[in-house]
Amino acid sequence: MSPDDPIKLVSQVLDLPLLDVGGNYCGIVDDIELTGSAGKETRLAALLVGPGAYEGRLPAWAMWLVRKLAGDRITRVPIGQVASINSAVKLKVSADSLGLHKSENAVRAVIPHVGAM
Amino acid sequence: MNPLELTLGIMTAVGGFVDISELVFAAKAGSMFGYALIWVFVVATIGIMVFGEMSGRVAAVAKQPVFNLMRHRLGLKLGLVTLLASLIANLITCAAEIGGVAFVLNYLTGAPYMLMAIASTAVLMASMWILPFKWIERTYGLLGLFMIVFLVALVAIKPPWHQLAGGFVPHIPHGLSTKELLIFAYYMVAIVSAVMFPYEAYFYSSGGIEEKWAPKDLPMNRITCTVGFGLGSLLSISILASSTQLFMPANVGPELLGSSALEAAIPFGTTGLLLALAGMLFAISGAAIETCMANAYSLCQFFGWEWGRQRKPWQAPRFTVAWIGFFLLALAIILTGIDPMNLVEYAVLFSILVLPLTYLPLLLLAGDPSYMGQYANGPVGKTFGWLYFTIITVAAIGALPLYVITSGGQG
Repeated sequence: MSPDDPIKLVSQVLDLPLLDVGGNYCGIVDDIELTGSAGKETRLAALLVGPGAYEGRLPAWAMWLVRKLAGDRITRVPIGQVASINSAVKLKVSADSLGLHKSENAVRAVIPHVGAM
Repeated sequence: MNPLELTLGIMTAVGGFVDISELVFAAKAGSMFGYALIWVFVVATIGIMVFGEMSGRVAAVAKQPVFNLMRHRLGLKLGLVTLLASLIANLITCAAEIGGVAFVLNYLTGAPYMLMAIASTAVLMASMWILPFKWIERTYGLLGLFMIVFLVALVAIKPPWHQLAGGFVPHIPHGLSTKELLIFAYYMVAIVSAVMFPYEAYFYSSGGIEEKWAPKDLPMNRITCTVGFGLGSLLSISILASSTQLFMPANVGPELLGSSALEAAIPFGTTGLLLALAGMLFAISGAAIETCMANAYSLCQFFGWEWGRQRKPWQAPRFTVAWIGFFLLALAIILTGIDPMNLVEYAVLFSILVLPLTYLPLLLLAGDPSYMGQYANGPVGKTFGWLYFTIITVAAIGALPLYVITSGGQG
């Protein structure tokens, strides 16, 4: 499916994993951003990724816990950067170029790069 | 299909099938009820074949592991509940496995149990760091084949085969008191839980992705699940049957993990004992790694982090931190001094409570043509899938009352 095709947003996009152009996992579609207004055409503008996008999807106490544990960062993925949507959302670009691998890179920096086959 | 790969895959499945809970419950079941619970092992083994095949098929066709798709299917809230339940069940199981490894090392070396728990966790973590996925899976699975000594030992003690064969026919023994019937029911639930632990399907599915399975691998998936798990289950049944022959007449309750090893020592002496302990050591070590990896897989897949042990540890950094963290948490549980035999009981109890929740998404995904296309569950898959979902749901409902009433099968 191409991103321009009609999409059942909630059932087809929400909570799907994101894969960058190199096939690396780089988050989950936690929320979506729409453009348009009442009486006008509504279009998918961006996918939102990160714990901050859970707002409204979890009870308040759970959201408080998420903020304490994981922060409230949201990374925006413009729909123009999406290559395809199937059992995962595939991107046209690298995760780094969209800022999707910040936490992954931060943890990578403290892990020893030795000893593994 | 590469015959060598297929053979290795089957042997790995056989060697990796048995874990501490099956060892404990098979030996106890045989000593208490003779051959009467063999058929429950058979029923549960068909269940893990059904769900194992489905999880492998989802991995090969949808190319996404079950936990990734599970969140998409169940949504964030219910998905989080499933994730937490599965993490807790697997963590308790992992701690029980580490305790089991420490026990076996204690039997073999005489070194203190707690020291062996720390040392074995360090070795397991080192092997996870150093070895790629296939090596980890094959090393522990193939070395676990030492467990075959239990099957040979059973043949050597010449059991009454016609009575043993009768155990394969579903039945409830005559003449049991109400109390004994409840204990029998508790053992039925415990065996279903021990054989169908949720980590097994999730580990298997993620392993399929790690090894880049495709639809062409579906016949191999089906054969590995049926033949590998089937033969693996025979090892558990051998332990039960030997226990019936050796412990039941003497009115011995095999409360210790080492009791099972005696089943091989009686016909074969020290050699049998050492082979049995070696098999137990590698089989339980493999299960400890599988439970820990299953948790790291689930966590990373749920949040869309990089994962997998085909990659070097620094290429999937949060996955690495996750499995290290789960190993340390499991070790911490053991270091509290809790008896691993109690942990086995808790692992079995908690796992059966969450089993319906963890297998439902798999059943829905495998039956969904939008993910699976022509490979979605057909009439046979649907029938067996929902039949087993009903069985585990009934077992889950009955588990807690049976545990309380029977004091964990003690009566």
